[in-house]
This record gives sequence, structure tokens and C-alpha cells, in this order.
Amino acid sequence: MKAVNRRVSVSGLGSAMGELPSGTGTGTVRKQALLNRTVRYALQAVNYAGLLLLVLVFALPFAWMMSTSLKTLPETMIFPPEWIPRSPVWQNYADAWNTGPFLHYFTNSIIIAAGILILQLATIIPAAYAFARYKFAGSGFLFGIVMVTLMIPAQLIFLPVYLELSAWKLLNTHLGLVLPFASSAFGIFLLRQAFMQVSDELVEAGRLDQASEWKIIVHIMVPLAKPVLVTFMLFSFIAHWNDYFWPLVMTTNETARTLPIGIAKIREVEGVATWNTLMAGNLILVAPILVVFFFSQRQIIRAFVYNGVK
Amino acid sequence: MTTAWDKLRPYGMVAPAIIIFSLFFIYPIFYMIYLSLFDWNFVSPTKSFVGIQNFRDLLTDADFRKVLSNTTIYTIMTVTLTTVLALLLALWLNRKGILHGFVQGAIFSPHIISLVSISLLWSWLMDPEYGLMNWVIGLFGFGKLAWLSHPGTSLISLVIVAVWKGVGYNTLVFIAGLQSIPGDIYEAAALDRSKPWTTFMKLILPMLSPTIFFLVIINMLGSFQVFETIAIMTQGGPINSTNTLVYYIYENGFRFFKIGYASAAGVILLGIVGVLTLVYFRLLSKRVHYR
Amino acid sequence: MAKIELKHISKKFKDETIIQDLNLTIKDGSFTVLVGPSGCGKSTTLRMIAGLEKASGGEIWIGGECVNDTAPGLRDVAMVFQNYALYPTMSVRGNIEFGLKNRGVAKSEREALVNDISEIVGLKPHLDKKPQSLSGGQRQRVALARAMVKKPKVFILDEPLSNLDAKLRNQMRTELIQLHRRLGTTFVYVTHDQVEAMSMGDEIVVMNGGVIQQAESPLKLYHDPANLFTAQFIGTPAMNMMNIRDVRGLGLTAGEQVGFVGFRPEQAHIQEAGMIGDGYKLEGEIITRESLGAENIYQIQSRTGIFFVKTFLEPLVEDAQVTVVVPYDQLYYFAPNGERLRGISARAAGGNVT
Repeated sequence: MKAVNRRVSVSGLGSAMGELPSGTGTGTVRKQALLNRTVRYALQAVNYAGLLLLVLVFALPFAWMMSTSLKTLPETMIFPPEWIPRSPVWQNYADAWNTGPFLHYFTNSIIIAAGILILQLATIIPAAYAFARYKFAGSGFLFGIVMVTLMIPAQLIFLPVYLELSAWKLLNTHLGLVLPFASSAFGIFLLRQAFMQVSDELVEAGRLDQASEWKIIVHIMVPLAKPVLVTFMLFSFIAHWNDYFWPLVMTTNETARTLPIGIAKIREVEGVATWNTLMAGNLILVAPILVVFFFSQRQIIRAFVYNGVK
Repeated sequence: MTTAWDKLRPYGMVAPAIIIFSLFFIYPIFYMIYLSLFDWNFVSPTKSFVGIQNFRDLLTDADFRKVLSNTTIYTIMTVTLTTVLALLLALWLNRKGILHGFVQGAIFSPHIISLVSISLLWSWLMDPEYGLMNWVIGLFGFGKLAWLSHPGTSLISLVIVAVWKGVGYNTLVFIAGLQSIPGDIYEAAALDRSKPWTTFMKLILPMLSPTIFFLVIINMLGSFQVFETIAIMTQGGPINSTNTLVYYIYENGFRFFKIGYASAAGVILLGIVGVLTLVYFRLLSKRVHYR
Repeated sequence: MAKIELKHISKKFKDETIIQDLNLTIKDGSFTVLVGPSGCGKSTTLRMIAGLEKASGGEIWIGGECVNDTAPGLRDVAMVFQNYALYPTMSVRGNIEFGLKNRGVAKSEREALVNDISEIVGLKPHLDKKPQSLSGGQRQRVALARAMVKKPKVFILDEPLSNLDAKLRNQMRTELIQLHRRLGTTFVYVTHDQVEAMSMGDEIVVMNGGVIQQAESPLKLYHDPANLFTAQFIGTPAMNMMNIRDVRGLGLTAGEQVGFVGFRPEQAHIQEAGMIGDGYKLEGEIITRESLGAENIYQIQSRTGIFFVKTFLEPLVEDAQVTVVVPYDQLYYFAPNGERLRGISARAAGGNVT
């Protein structure tokens, strides 16, 4: 942009002074262009260096976690720290796994996260369809309940819910951990938007094809909302797989405890902090999510950012 | 052929969701407000009505004041740092291409990882003796810090963890916001010979303001409810320097069985969250109207 | 095959009345076109026949059966939508057989039907593609096939050609006419395009403001419009219309009833020097000339306003000032309220010619 301006002014000057040989003009331009290119390369170098630094800030902690998980206990107590373990101690993973009933925690995590997801799908799809497609008395009020729920964090009401579940004898049960999240206000909100975008004509075509409402949902609506549904499923599964607070509060014994609780408990096992075992356990917890993230990064990012943009 | 079922169908379809929400979100709020007016230890069969005594006690309790101020300081620092850093990163990283996509993915990754993992990892990184953080600041010539184990640095350490976890998500939301600004506006500004700084202040920032408000509110709501990092990394210590609202409610309810007292604290948190939520609601309805 | 009767149909959206007391009989096997400007109620009428919209009052009969309380899927009607409304997640085959599946038609029979239909509309090679990968014309054919495969009593088409480009539109127009001949089923077709209506329909229903203006065969509609609206709606350019106050030099019988006098652009002649024609004369200045080769359209500014003249297979008139002659028997008369007045005859009023 600047170079172009300069060339215009130079040639303008040239013609004002009578037909000067144009050599001087082009020379200036060439020098300027050279300078511009240098500046641009320098900026680019700074840019790449910055990007590298940024990635390191986020990648190094994970690398450090992996490194620690393969060290011996004395090796963790060296300062300044060494990055590469002298000989990898895979035993740490077995040790972490054996600090508690980890297979049990793992199964619980799967049962609870999957149970929540299945119930959520079963409740949000019809609700989202009704809110998107039907006009019915009180729909505004009922959708108000959804919106209020969307805004209430579970962190806020754990005490009364605890008392509720305890009264129903649901503490320390899988059901007690699943039921409060058996529907999702966020899911309804998201899916309703998607359903509303489906053209009326398509639904009408279905009606003329003698499709029942159920068939319209299953054969027309859900296939069209698939990207949004996948987004929501990723979001829900990750959120509940990771959840620490709710299982911590709603369990008092091992029956229904999940992986995050188990990992957090490694720390309490012995008096001395065995960071190598702890990081090994931590990797067991993190690895599945990071693997899933690696393969569906785009969709997961959309799942979480969608929450913020819509 | 409008049968009774046709009329009832929408209600049948929303009923399961509405019942769940009513049982586990709406009703508990009223139950908590009710409990806050009683003195009850969870075990005793009788609850004794004490009116607003719990609230009075709370407001005169030095610990609770400390908790409120901790929570407020934590929130202000976390929100400011996260939002400003994220905006700068977004302006920098808002480019297409594999490299920038990779960097975006990298800074986002902590957001999908369990807070348990992050808390454990950072407890280790911030270990006063052998932690990596001390090595890093050592590279810049600083001496060892106690991080979480010293009341002077514990809260800011938690802020660092929160910013590390949240900045990537915030950046990507900002980038989404930036990308929703139509490109021809930049072109029009360039044709009007607007300087980059002017373009940013007069065009980008105002058009981004809904996103900024949204993120500020979301971050504030999140920060006011911070629990996991505290439960795992500091347990509110040392000497109450990191005790915050949700942790305080948790301890009073589940350690000391002061259900009424904890509920009253919960109601205060509800008030704070409620105000923020109302602001958020207004914003959201505006955003929905835009579309 | 079925006759459709609309009896005293009304339709309200909230407090707004869209249609009031509409009566219409659509003949069995006819190609009936509902035409009118947007918002005239033609689409609403169509959707009420299909059952997608409930009438606020009155009765709809299809094939001698009152269908007021029959669900759309059970009315035995098939519809082609403006945007085709193809199910994007199903293949072409899936689209065509979805209705059959819902009716519980056996698989072997379904396959035979889909085969036959796709043969007719030429979709055989595309059966396993998704609609998104087809061209506009092919999508249109899928929509037609989906409707045809159900062998309905009535075909309903809601502006089905409006999304096609001009060339394809002409081609599909012909194909639809042939299709109607072959099937012999009642077609109800909605369009806002009067050219489409004239070229396709054997019965045209002109609507405006929720009221049927005239229901006639195309030629009758053109030659014998019932009112000002129809007269001006049918024909391109529209019929020229003059307020009676501006008309000079025209002696009319029963002239006091007349509010407007009109003539079709193609019935007027531009008078050449020395030629004497009998008729109503108008002088003016040609402001634009559009020549399509075979026909020329002139826009002429006269004392009474702008009007059009259309000529066929004649050289382009180069003069600026012209006199236009309209034969007396080609003048149409309308009452101030728009009603057509018949049986009025005209002659030159002496000395008043301008």
C-alpha cells in the first residue's frame, strides 16, 4: 500500500521536473521494497517465536506431567528438574491403578456419563421439538423454566439437592448421580435453535407423506440436526466425565464414585506426596479426553465455543 | 381430527425435561431459601426457626467477610486477566491456516480437561521445593516462591491456574466474534484510510462489545463458584487465604453440619449469581433478537 | 381423480381476515391455476386444500367427501413445494418412497413403483444420490416423482417453477402440461405469474385481496375480463386504462355509468401519414421503443398519461409524435367501482377530437 503511494508520488515528481530518466525513481522504490521485505520477515520471525512460546506455555505442563509419571520418587525430588527420566518407570501406572478400585471407578464414570447422555437425548429431543414447532398454551412459561435452569449452576444448589437425594435414599447410587442431569437446558436451547431452522415446507412434505410426528422427528428433524446433536453429545460427555464436584458431594462411599474422585484420592493415600504415581494416575484420567480431542478437535471446539457465541 | 392427544402431545413431550428441572433446579432454590431461616444440624429430627439470624451471624462473621473478599479479589483478577489476555490473543491468532489452527487447539486444550487433573498438575508445578514453576522463574533470576503454601501468594497462584485454563476458551470465543464481523467493514475502513488503531477502537471493539460483555459475565459467574481448584490445591488455606464462597458453603454444610448457616451463605451466593444472571439474560435476549 | 369444492371458506390469522366466503369448484381432471399478486390468498387457499392450513369456516370437499377433519396425509393429495422440500438427509429413492413406506406399501411393490416413476421423469441414474448433488431441474423432477408415486386424487403445486432459470422454466412448463395430459388427474397450481397461468391452465382463477375476481378459461379471461383487476392483471403489457374525465372525443351510450375506458396495447395502431382509420384517436410522444424483433412495444406519453402500444411484424416507428388509433369495438368500459360494463357503443364526438 505504502510502496504504491510512493511510486505514484515519485513518478508525479518526475513528470513535474520534465522527462527525467526514470532510473532514480525505480531505485528508491526497489530500496523501499527491500526494506519492507526485511521488516516483514522480521515481523514474521517474531510472530513464529511468539506462537512457539504460546504453545510451550500450554504444552510444557502436560509434557512435565508425562515426564514425572515415568520417574522414580527420588528423581522427582531433584532441583533444578531433569526433563528426561533416567529409565522410564512404567510401574507408576500400575501403582496408580492399584491405589484404589480403579476399574470400579472407571466403570462408574462410563455408566454415569453414558447414562446421563442417553437420558438427556431421550428428554431433550422431544422437548426441543415441542418448543420449536408447536404453539401451546403455557409454552412461554415452560420455556422460562428451561431458561432459568440454563442459568442456575449446579454448584449453587448442591446442598438442597443433597438433602433431597438423601431423603429419597439415592445418595451413593448411580441413579442419584444421573437423575439430576437427566435433562439438559443447554441441550434443549441448542437443539430448539436447530429445529427452528428446518424449513416448514419439509415438515409439511412429511405430513403429506403421511408421516407421524414421531417419524418426522426421527427421519427428518434428527438427521438434519445431527451436527448440533454431535456437538451437544461431546459437550455433555466431556463435562460429566470430568465432573469432580457432584460425585464428591453426593457420595460418601465407593459404590458410585468416579475416576476424578479416585485420582484426587491418590494424593491422600500416603503422607508423602508421590508425585510420580499421582501424575501417572492423572494421565490415565486425561489421556482419553486428549485422544478424543486430538481426533475431533474442530467439533469439540465448536461444541464449547457454540455455547459462548449463540 | 384434532384429538385430545394432539392437544396434549406438546405437554407430554416437554414433561420429562420440565419435571427434572423442577425437581433438581427450581425446587431446590426455594428449599434452600427455606432452610436458610432455620438452625439445623442435619441429624436432629427438628429444625428450629431462627428467622434471619443466620444472615446476621454471617455478616458479623470475620471468616465469612474474609471469604467474601477472597472471592471478590479472585473474581476481579481472574476475569480481568482472562478477558484482556484473550482479546489480545484473539487479535493475534485470528487467522486461518493449519499453524494457527494448531495453536488455537493447544491453548484451548486445558478447557476440556478435568479440573481435578489441572489442580493436581498445578499443585505439582507449583511445588515449593521441586516445582517446575520455580525453575521457570529461576530462569529469569527470581528466587523460589512458596506459591500455594504462602498466604501472600496462594490466591494469585489460583488465579494463574484459572487464567491458564480459561484463556484459550475465551480466545476462541473472541475469534468467533471477530469472524462474525463482516470482512467488507475492514475493507471499507481501509479505503477510508483508517489507521489500525482507529479501526480497532472505533470499529472492532464496539462490534465486539456483546462478546466482551458475555465473556465477562460468564467468567464472573464461573469465578464466583470456584470450588475444585480450592478443594484439591489449598483446602481454603493457608490461614483462610483462599477460602471462597462455594468452598465455605461446602465446609459448613458437610464438615460442620451447619445446614441453615450454609444455606444462608448459599442464598447470598444466589443473590450475586442472580444479579449477574439477570444482566446475562438481558444480553442474551438482545442477542437472540439480533438474529 | 376428484372434483374439489370450496364452500363458504374463510380464513383468519389472529384478527386479520385473509379470505372471506370463498366459493370455488375445481373440475375433475382440470388443470386449474390460482393466480394473483402476492398476499392475495392463493397460497392459503391451496394450503387449505392440502390440509396444511385449517379453514376458519366453511367446508372443503374432495371427490364428494368433506375433508375438513382429515389429516393432510390422508386426503389423498400430493404437493410440490416452491422450494421442493426434498428431505436432504435421504437419497432420491428415499425421498420418493418415504410416503409409500408410511402407508405401509410392501417393499417389492415400492421398488416397482419407484422404478416406474423414475423412468418417467428420467431420474433412474440418480436414485442413490442425495438431493443436494442434483441440479435445479433434477430436484424439481424428484419433487414431482415424490408426488406422482403416491397416485393421488389431486396434485397441488405451489409456485413450483419459481426457482428455475428462464430456459428450464419453459421446458418444465411443457413437461407439466404433458404430465397432466398423461395422468388426467386434477391439478391445482398456484403462481403469481400470469404468463405461466395463461400458458398452462385450462381454468384460471384470478384472486385479489382474498376474493376470487374471475374464474374462466384463459382465452375468455383475456377477451372478456369481468372487471378492472382481471383486465389489468392478464396480458403484457397490461391493459391501458384511462379515467373517463380525461377522455375527449368519445361519444358513449349510457356514458354516465362509465368510470374507466381501457384498451389492450396490441389492439391499438400507430397511424401512418395519409392512413385513415376509424376509432378512438390519441396523440402522444413516443418515449421508449422496445423491440423484440417480431414485436415492438412503444411507451407513449400522451395528454392523459403514459400508455403502451404493441405491434407485430411491423417496422419500428421512428417518428417522435404519433397518433394512435383504437378501434371502437376494442374499447373496454368499467364502472367507477371496477365492474365491467357491457353493451356500450362508441362513436366519434364531433369536433372534440384533440
